[in-house]
Amino acid sequence: MKTLTIVLTDGPYISEYADIAYKIARAALKHYQVNIFLYLDGVHVPKSGQKPAMFANIGELFEDLARDGATIRACIRCAAARGYRAKEDQSCQDYSEVIKITSIYELAEMLSLSDKVITLSR
Amino acid sequence: MRSIFYLLDAAPYGSEKAFGLLNAAIVSLAKGGVTVGLYGDGAYLALAGQNSKPLGMPNLADLIYAYLDIKVVAHEPSLFERGLMGEALIELV
Repeated sequence: MKTLTIVLTDGPYISEYADIAYKIARAALKHYQVNIFLYLDGVHVPKSGQKPAMFANIGELFEDLARDGATIRACIRCAAARGYRAKEDQSCQDYSEVIKITSIYELAEMLSLSDKVITLSR
Repeated sequence: MRSIFYLLDAAPYGSEKAFGLLNAAIVSLAKGGVTVGLYGDGAYLALAGQNSKPLGMPNLADLIYAYLDIKVVAHEPSLFERGLMGEALIELV
């Protein structure tokens, strides 16, 4: 199976990128191993407890992706800067347990193993 | 992965983007050749004599000097449009 990696640097709602990433990942899961690396403000995407009044709940959509087989990782430096603390098992109390916080070296690993890479960044 | 190209089109100190891009470039060195392209406002990163201390941000030019294996190229028209062609540039660019 081929591998697709999506790099996302925007948080939810400020732009369409998180929504676009979700739609690409959802479609790709039928044929690809999908990795999503949340970088810079992208680490806000999986925060639990989002309650958008007018938009689809991006946090829940990404949790669904992870439960359906996507590997979703958030950059530890970016997460720490924004107040998301990684536990010893790389989970975060502010994220679903299926989404982990990892070193940026995980991004390099994902890129090196990917057949396709899509970066969504402004 | 044979090589990876990172394109910076944002100014070096107006946001976290340039710092984030250089960090990603640095960790990618272990996986293959890395090139950073400076385009649009990203061309300002090519300027020599950067002093980021008053901003409380890391000096991004120092990162370029610290990781000589990263190839840095600047888009000449972007430099020209910003009046940077006559300025001193980082010699590695």
